[in-house]
Amino acid sequence: MDDLYLDNIDEFVNDQNKIVTYKWLSLTLGVHVNTAKQMLYHYLQQKRNESSGTPLHATYLVSGKCVENGSTYHKVSVVREDKLDAVKAKMDVTISVHVYSVQRAELKDSSPLYSTDYDAVKENLKNCNKYSAIRCAAAVPLSSSELQRAQETALVPPVEKEISKPGFNENTSATSKPSAKQPAGIMGMFASKNASKSQESSKEVKTEQKEDSSLVETSKSKTASKANPMSNFFGKSAQKKADEKPNKSIKEEMDSSSTASATASLKQSQTSSKSETDVKEEQSKVSKALKVESKDTRSKTKRPEVVDSDDEKMESQQKKRRRIVVPDSPPVPNVHTPSPKKQVKREPVSHQEESSEVKRRKRRRVLRSNTFVDEDGAFVTEKGYVSESYSESEEEPESNSQAKDSSSLKQSFGKREEEKKEKSQKKTSAAKKPTKQPSIMGFFQKK
Amino acid sequence: MATLTRQDLNFGQVVADILCEFLEVAIHLILYVREIYPSGIFQKRKKYNVPVQMSCHPELNQYIQDTLHCVKPLIQKNEAEKVVMVIMDKEHHPVERFVFEISQPPLLSISSETLLSHVEQLLRAMILKISVCDAVLDNNPPGCTFTLLVHTREAATRNMEKVQVIKDFPWIVADEQEVHMEEAKLIPLKTMTSDILKVSHSQLFCTESQVSWLQLKHRCSRISLKSRCKT
Repeated sequence: MDDLYLDNIDEFVNDQNKIVTYKWLSLTLGVHVNTAKQMLYHYLQQKRNESSGTPLHATYLVSGKCVENGSTYHKVSVVREDKLDAVKAKMDVTISVHVYSVQRAELKDSSPLYSTDYDAVKENLKNCNKYSAIRCAAAVPLSSSELQRAQETALVPPVEKEISKPGFNENTSATSKPSAKQPAGIMGMFASKNASKSQESSKEVKTEQKEDSSLVETSKSKTASKANPMSNFFGKSAQKKADEKPNKSIKEEMDSSSTASATASLKQSQTSSKSETDVKEEQSKVSKALKVESKDTRSKTKRPEVVDSDDEKMESQQKKRRRIVVPDSPPVPNVHTPSPKKQVKREPVSHQEESSEVKRRKRRRVLRSNTFVDEDGAFVTEKGYVSESYSESEEEPESNSQAKDSSSLKQSFGKREEEKKEKSQKKTSAAKKPTKQPSIMGFFQKK
Repeated sequence: MATLTRQDLNFGQVVADILCEFLEVAIHLILYVREIYPSGIFQKRKKYNVPVQMSCHPELNQYIQDTLHCVKPLIQKNEAEKVVMVIMDKEHHPVERFVFEISQPPLLSISSETLLSHVEQLLRAMILKISVCDAVLDNNPPGCTFTLLVHTREAATRNMEKVQVIKDFPWIVADEQEVHMEEAKLIPLKTMTSDILKVSHSQLFCTESQVSWLQLKHRCSRISLKSRCKT
């Protein structure tokens, strides 16, 4: 092949300051992905040999077999160049390594890699696997009747899945909650995407899961139990929700014989960025363009949700979270929520009441939650119905709660960074608002 | 959805909403990419169907939201020329400026379906450009802070000083020191033109100090306001 492509890549990388991923390159130039990978490699070699001009950074896709806790799994990850050797060394068998992207900027996380491919794939949605090396003869677009059936079954109530397993590189996974309602327009996208990748991947997973005997936990293993392969997408794509921290490491066991191509790996489209390890794990791009549009409804209401997700926010090391709620009111329900070290959910306890300006005092049962450290060192949030007295014109003295929270929180927190400590203090005070109904006299007493 | 014309009451509001959302995301992203704050406070969220980094620090978020909340009516009335995010070193000398120039294209009506997805695409591209901008920018010295300035047209600032849109969030006229940069080089980053917004990047590179322009074109004026940022 002629060397014109080198100039093309040069233009993309240096002049336009783009991130050139192999997938984007293959779609842009209309070549097979393997050719695109070779192109990038040659370009990189050439530029490195010249050793002049602007520095280039590259990311690589490494896939291989790893052993953890006695079980073998196939791991695919996108790594930066400086971490490449370390990751390769950790693997038992390195099956494939190739250039994933070339760019001028040193990327801090993997989001731009995804963004780069997003538009290119979206434009070529119908034939985005035209140049792909992964093939499945049975993967064809759904007919309209099948599509309709899929739509109906997809409106099943959401299943709550908790996937929490410490990752290979200290990655932790988060709960995922596929949303029940999907606008009908999305199904069209799913259908065509289905054709190219999902069917094949879900089929492969299903067959493999049967062969699996080891404790390999995958999101697909949970979703494979669902009757409808479409739900797989909701499961995976819903994991992209910002509320749940999308830090997952997908470990899959695959018999090499059952895969179509040597490097075929079920890559899921989640990207998780690890600040500690700087290893970018990119899972299958199957549902990449399928990001659930339910996010659209959230995009407009982002602001209120920011507060909510702050409360829910998990740091990169999560402990398993169990929440048991007993809804009956009169007996005091003990709800144990071991929350991670970094997060405290502390509601203002009963000394919020103002003693002044009391119009009428009443006693009522209020659901209060109390957070304390138990003997294991875990934070426990106890929610209970507490009978407390309140007045109609009660005000929440935010300053009081802040001061109190800050003192108690300072003792409780371990080696947390300063900013996060203050942040959570402020978080707790900011997050709690009085929930009682305002009385008409309240208008006159407020400042 | 029916077509919206310029005369529609909602048109200006829709544009202002879209723009302010975009600015919020862009500001958070710049904070992340330029390492103004440690990356630990950032969390991955989704916007325009791609992952972006947003801060979780409540005060920081509140500051940015309040600022944009005040800017929104200016955009609606087409009084905001540009929104500038100035990054300053410890001595409060500006080292970088990200300028979003806002301008209104002279189109009368839009049909919203394709338009919004088109706008989304353009904004996605802008965000991508911000992510890779550190290829063309020098590293900032440690201990930088940032502030947000708004350049408005005519006398819009007078109103802002008088009327507090948000309580306890006053706007003051910016110091010259923060507005002007010496030996500024302009680095275009991205230009985007759509039927409802015109956004343009322009870049210049500088050793001493840098100005990166993300221009969302609207027409303009010369008074700049700033709001204090506690960092």
